Amino acid sequence: MRSPVRAVAEADVAGGGERGPASEANAAAETDGVRVKPGRHREATLYKALAKAGARDGRTLEQLRADARRAYDALELPVWRRSGFWTTNLQSLDLDALHSGPPPAPGEVPAVVSRTLPDRPRAGRIVQSGSGVVHVELDAAARERGVILCSLEEAFAEHGELVARWFSRRLTIDRHKLEAANAAFWSGGAFLHVPPEAVIEDPFEIVYAIGHPGLAQYGRTLVVGGQTSEFRVHEYDLAEDFEGQALHAGAFELYLDDGARCRLAQLQDWGSGEVFDASTRIVEVGRDAYCHWLPSLLGGHLVRQHLELAVSQPGGDMAFRGLFFTEGREHLDAFAVDLHETGPSGGDVHWRGAATGESRASFEGLIQIDPGAQQTHTYLQIHAMMLSPRARVDAIPSVLVSADDVSASHGGTVGELDDAAIFYMQSRGLDRPTAVRVIVEGFFEPLISQLQDEPLEELVRAKVARKLAAAHEDIETYAVSR
Amino acid sequence: MADLQIRDLHVGIEDHEILRGVDLDISRGEIHALMGPNGSGKSTLASTLMGHPAYEVTQGSIVFQGEDITEADPHERAKAGLFLAFQYPVAIPGVSVANFLRMAMNAKREEPIGVKEFRTQLAHAVELLDVERSFTSRHLNDGFSGGEKKRAEILQLAMLQPDVAVLDETDSGLDIDALRTVAEGVQRLHDEHGLGVLIITHYQRILHYVRPDFVHIMLDGRIVLEGGVELVERLEREGYDQIRREFGASEAGALAGEGGG
Repeated sequence: MRSPVRAVAEADVAGGGERGPASEANAAAETDGVRVKPGRHREATLYKALAKAGARDGRTLEQLRADARRAYDALELPVWRRSGFWTTNLQSLDLDALHSGPPPAPGEVPAVVSRTLPDRPRAGRIVQSGSGVVHVELDAAARERGVILCSLEEAFAEHGELVARWFSRRLTIDRHKLEAANAAFWSGGAFLHVPPEAVIEDPFEIVYAIGHPGLAQYGRTLVVGGQTSEFRVHEYDLAEDFEGQALHAGAFELYLDDGARCRLAQLQDWGSGEVFDASTRIVEVGRDAYCHWLPSLLGGHLVRQHLELAVSQPGGDMAFRGLFFTEGREHLDAFAVDLHETGPSGGDVHWRGAATGESRASFEGLIQIDPGAQQTHTYLQIHAMMLSPRARVDAIPSVLVSADDVSASHGGTVGELDDAAIFYMQSRGLDRPTAVRVIVEGFFEPLISQLQDEPLEELVRAKVARKLAAAHEDIETYAVSR
Repeated sequence: MADLQIRDLHVGIEDHEILRGVDLDISRGEIHALMGPNGSGKSTLASTLMGHPAYEVTQGSIVFQGEDITEADPHERAKAGLFLAFQYPVAIPGVSVANFLRMAMNAKREEPIGVKEFRTQLAHAVELLDVERSFTSRHLNDGFSGGEKKRAEILQLAMLQPDVAVLDETDSGLDIDALRTVAEGVQRLHDEHGLGVLIITHYQRILHYVRPDFVHIMLDGRIVLEGGVELVERLEREGYDQIRREFGASEAGALAGEGGG
C-alpha cells in the first residue's frame, strides 16, 4: 500500500499565512474575482476522519456507557489546535457547574421552538428539551408506511434488535471528554427509521432545544434509511437567548442502505447565550445511495463540529454543502470530511461562510480517498467573506488520497465586501445597508436555494438578514476604515 | 431652470484634480452628447454625478430639480431621478435581474410594486432590449458578455424610468447589432417618456442611432466646445487633435491657468 499523501492548501487572508506556490485555490480565486492568498503545503496532524472507528464492536449499550464513563473521568476538557491557524479551547466551559436538569414534562416545548420552526407540512417531529423528549408526532400516513419515529431510549426498549444493528457503528466514545460524556450520559434522543422503499415527501423534524442556562444536553440521534427509501430530515438546534453557560454535546448518525436517498439539513442557532457545542455527525452512504447534506451553522458561543460524510459502498454519491455565519465574539470550528471508502463514488463539497464582529470562523474541509476507492471523483470548494476588521476566517481545504485512479481537487476564496458592487446598487436606489445585505445574501444564495424547501430557505434567509442587521454598525466602520 | 445643473464643478481624486470647472445644463427631453479623448474627465464626471465616494468635489455644485445634491448619497440621487449606466457594470452574484429590478423599483416607491404591474413592465423592457425572457432570471451581470451587460443597463434604465440618465461609454465593446438595439432603446425612452440623456462617448458611432440635440467636447477636465450635431461631423473630419490644437491648453498651461483661476 502506498503511504497516504496529504496536501493542505491554505486560503488564509486575515493574517498568518505565508505566500507560497500557486495552487488550485488560487485559480478558483481568480475566476471568482476575490482575493485569496495562495498557501504552502504542510503536514496536518490533528484533523482526522473517524473512518471506521465505530465504538460498538459487539458491546451492549450498558458496556458502552460504562466504558465511556471511564474515558470521561480520565479525560480533560478538549483543546483542538490547528497549528498556525486557530485553537479551539473548551476549557472555559465550567462543566462541573452544569447539570442535565430534571427530566422535562411532556409537552413542555421551549418557546424558541415554536417561534422558530416554520409552520408547514411535515412527516413527523420530535423535540428534545434539555435531557428529555417532550414532543413526538408522526404523520398517520408515514406511520402506516412503517416509519418509526421515537426517542432513542424508547427505541432501545421497543426496537432493540433494529437499533443494535446501527447504533454507534461509526461514532466513537473516547476521542475527547465531551464525546465520552455524550456516550455515557445521553438521554432522550431521537430514532428515525424509514423502511425500505418508503418515499416520504415532507420532512422529519428533529429538534434539540436548550431553554435555560446551566444545562448540559447530550443529544443522540440515529437515523436509518432502508433500501431505496427517500426522505428528508431537518434538524434544529436552538436555545433561548439567556445569560450564562450551557452545553450541547451531540452525536448524530445517519445510515443510508442501498439506493436510499436523503436530503439532510441542519439549522443551528444557539442564540446569544454562552452555549458551547461540541458535536460529531456522521452520514454513511451505501451502495448507489445518495445524500444531500446541508448544515447551516448560524450561531453559538463556541462551536466545534466534526461532520463526516462517508461513501462506504460502490456507486454512492453525495453533495455536502454547508454555510456558516458567526457574529459578536462567537467561535466556530467546523471540520467537514468527504470520505470515500470504495469506488466508484462521487462527492461534491461546497461551503460558504461569513464573519462579523470579533468572531472567529475556522473551516477545514478534508477529502479522504481510501486505498482501493478507485474511480472516485470529488471536488471541494470553500468560500468565505469577512465583514468586519476584527473578524477572522480561515479556510483550509485538504486532500488525502490513497488511490491512483481518482480525481480530487479543491479551491477556495476568502474575500471582503466589494465596494464597486455596493456603489453599483446604490446608484440604483438601494441604500448601503440594503446593498450589503443583497451582496451577502447573494453570496449564500447558491447554497440556500439548494435546500429545495421553501419554508426552510426562508428561515435561513431571515436568520442571515437578522445577523447582518445586528452587525450593521460594524460593517459600516469597516467600510470607512478601508 | 434645467433639471440637472452643473456649475463650476471641480473634482479630484487623491489630491489630483481631474475636472477643472465644468458647467452643464441638462433637462428632460434633451439628448446631450459629451465627447472627448481618453483621460479628458468624461467618466469622472459620470461617477461624480452619481456620487462615487472616491471622487471629491472641491468646488462648484450639482443641482438636480432644485435640490443641491453635490454631497448626497448615491441612492438619494437615484431616488431623485438620476441614473447612471455604467461603463463596467458590476456582477451581483446570487441576485437575479428580475429580483434586483424589483428591489430597485421598490426603493423608489412607497408601496411595493404589484406582481402583475411588474411583469407587464418587465415584458415591455425585455422586448425593447431584444433579450430572451430567461435573461431576467440570470444573476445580474454574473457571467454576462459585454453586450449582455450593456443591455442589462438599459433594461434597468427602462424599468426605473429616471428623469435624466447618464450613459457612460455604453457603446464601448458593443458589436453593431447590440449597439443599434441599445441606442434605439435609449431613443425610444427619450421619445416616449421624455427621458433626458447625457451620452458620454469616445466615438461618434452611437450618435448615428441616437441624435443629440447638444454636443459638448471635453478636454483636460473642461468643456471647451459646445454646439449641435454638426460638431460630431466636424470631429469625424478633423479628429480630436485639431480641437486640441485649437482649444487644448498644454498640461503646463492648464496648470498655470488653474493657479490663476
